[in-house]
Amino acid sequence: MKIRLFAGTLFLLVVLVAVAWQAARQPRPVALTPTISGKEEYCLTCHADLPEISASHPVESFGCVLCHGGERLALDADLAHSTMRGGSNPSDLAVAGLSCGGSDCHSGSPELQRDHVGRVLTSIQTTYAGAIASLRFSFGAQDSLAARQAIAPVQALHPPAGNQDQRPQYLEAFDPAAESNPFLQSFGENCLNCHLRAEALPGNEYARFTGCAACHPPTAGSDLSEPDRQPVHQLTTAIPYTQCNACHNRGNYDLRTMSFVPRPDAPADRLHDYYQPITQFTRCEYELDCLDCHTRTEAMGDGYLYNDQQEQQYVQCKTCHGTLTEPPLTRTIRNEADLALRLAYLNPDVPLQIGDTIVVTDKGEPMWNLRQLTDGSFEMVTKVTHVRYPLPLVQGSACTQKPEEQESRYCHACHAVER
Amino acid sequence: MRPSFFHHLHPPTIPASQSRFRYTLGAGGYSVFLTLVLLVSGALLMFYYVPTPAEAGPSIQMITFLVPFGALVRNLHYWSAQILVVVAAIHMLRVIFTGAYNSPRRFNYLLGLSLFVLALFLDFTGYVLRWDEGVRWALVAGTNLVDSIPWIGPGLYRLVMGASQPGPAALTRFYTWHIFGLVVLLLGVGVWHIFRVRRDGGIAVPPPEQRSTPQRISRFELVRREGLAALIGTAVLLLVSAFIPAPLAPPMSEVTSQAADSSAPWFFLWVQQLLKSGDAFWMGVFVPLVVLAVLGAIPYLLPAVKPDELGRWFPRSGRPAQVLALILVLAVLGLTLAAALAPPA
Repeated sequence: MKIRLFAGTLFLLVVLVAVAWQAARQPRPVALTPTISGKEEYCLTCHADLPEISASHPVESFGCVLCHGGERLALDADLAHSTMRGGSNPSDLAVAGLSCGGSDCHSGSPELQRDHVGRVLTSIQTTYAGAIASLRFSFGAQDSLAARQAIAPVQALHPPAGNQDQRPQYLEAFDPAAESNPFLQSFGENCLNCHLRAEALPGNEYARFTGCAACHPPTAGSDLSEPDRQPVHQLTTAIPYTQCNACHNRGNYDLRTMSFVPRPDAPADRLHDYYQPITQFTRCEYELDCLDCHTRTEAMGDGYLYNDQQEQQYVQCKTCHGTLTEPPLTRTIRNEADLALRLAYLNPDVPLQIGDTIVVTDKGEPMWNLRQLTDGSFEMVTKVTHVRYPLPLVQGSACTQKPEEQESRYCHACHAVER
Repeated sequence: MRPSFFHHLHPPTIPASQSRFRYTLGAGGYSVFLTLVLLVSGALLMFYYVPTPAEAGPSIQMITFLVPFGALVRNLHYWSAQILVVVAAIHMLRVIFTGAYNSPRRFNYLLGLSLFVLALFLDFTGYVLRWDEGVRWALVAGTNLVDSIPWIGPGLYRLVMGASQPGPAALTRFYTWHIFGLVVLLLGVGVWHIFRVRRDGGIAVPPPEQRSTPQRISRFELVRREGLAALIGTAVLLLVSAFIPAPLAPPMSEVTSQAADSSAPWFFLWVQQLLKSGDAFWMGVFVPLVVLAVLGAIPYLLPAVKPDELGRWFPRSGRPAQVLALILVLAVLGLTLAAALAPPA
């Protein structure tokens, strides 16, 4: 019996050593108490090597859970990640309202234009309404080009302004299975890849996420399918044209087979390779980044629903360059609450301050990177590349435009570069 | 050697052949051992567990991941509880298969059966205290069974849940039952059960003249054996608890309408399988109660085992009880297996 008791004690001792070894193997928890939530979280135990997502979202204030969700106390990867919003992308539009939204964040006051999440749901990049309406009209499923359906049902944040306003009040969900025409069914199956709810097509040149993260993290060109890749953990408002090109200029729709034909090349030279060979460009269209001219509401919506892209995109050559009779519209910044200052603050390479006069669009949107200098001339500072360009005005130039011909094709007639 | 307090908890001597491990399987002793582990580990868990719907899940995550040795204590509590159900069932089957349930022990047999039921209730209430997605289905299904009982069901449901649906009141009630109500009952009936073992003449043995050997072992030897069993039991429990974590799921949410894990705890899988084949009350409440009643009726309705056949496995005169118990065991195991192997809905 004594031997048995000795053996039993020995066994227990060996087990105790094993228990101690197992306890020593556990990771040492790394706590973070973000100032906004005030709730301790332990994500940094494993994710200490992640770069801070942006200067506007310091990890000491935001932590991880506020945006990503997840189990803040769990040190088991599966459990910790099980309740994350949108998997690895909390900005997917299915959950962006919870992750990026909130009245203190990006679902804030519409008057202050802080309602980004609500507006982006109405954007043509989200609804895809123009393409759907155009196809349904072409194949006889609807009797006009007016948009009726979107990728997901959506209500306009602002009602159409009066009876003459053709913009829709709401859009129903486009359901390819409910279409009787086989071409529309194929369209539904093969061509719904380029909106903010859609997963990107495979390939580095299409590399983007969904929702807000389709544009704001610079993913273009990276291999997102690599399972062991370091997560792209960066948000920016200085979005380079290459990110836009993850969707735009990536191929053509073949209307005979109703399928998307991706372009086979990986373009390098922007002017000669990137864009469709038949289209014409002026220098600003291939030297600047898309967002140097196109505004936030053109890309992210303004709360109205639009019938198609042309209706939502309203910036023209004259917005910056004016016409023969008029200089561009301008506004002098009078106080700190001016939206232009807020936008410039995010991109400090544009030294904007109270008293500066900037170009504004027809709708009053600030072109905050287009300043009037003391000598009365205008200067553009590009948002991504930080290059300064003098802005030539039409007024006083040798331009022979007709006042009513302001579409880009009329300008291209003289100003397109040889390709 | 003067007997210590622990020696005095045991009879001075017991028959050698009935004190062998292969006769008792140590199941009664291990049940006491596991209960003690449960009491100690449960008391430690109470320092950290917060019984509110919002905090239950996070506090268990805190115990599991952040409290030093918290995971070990929680795993010890979990595994002791699971093993207790198995060990207590083995103890009951040992009693049936050795014919030890007859008068004068038949009342103690009922006490033992009620201890088993209490252990199941403790297991279920403890399971619910996780208040996470893994237990939501079982909580809803289990309490709906209560609701399905004719006449008294709805009232009983309100009594259990404290409200018309799972919420803070239900969690408080499950918690109070788990750490107080059921524990007091378990300890009370448990002490009574152990007292009755000695009052009813100790372990069942044949009359003195019919015993194969008159040898007896002393309480010193018995305590040494128990010490060895406790050493091995502790080591095995620690080993299991250090390396196999108790289940944990994301905290219960109101958002998802469909529970991620729609299965009962393993000891009620057989009831879940029964529920697939019929009405909630008849299959989920009535049939289990009948099983319990049949088990309880064994010493009262079936012929007694002959005294000279006591003290060994499978006495001939106890066949009806053995067959009945075997059928019940096979049925429960078969249903459990069917439920466990069924593809998820």
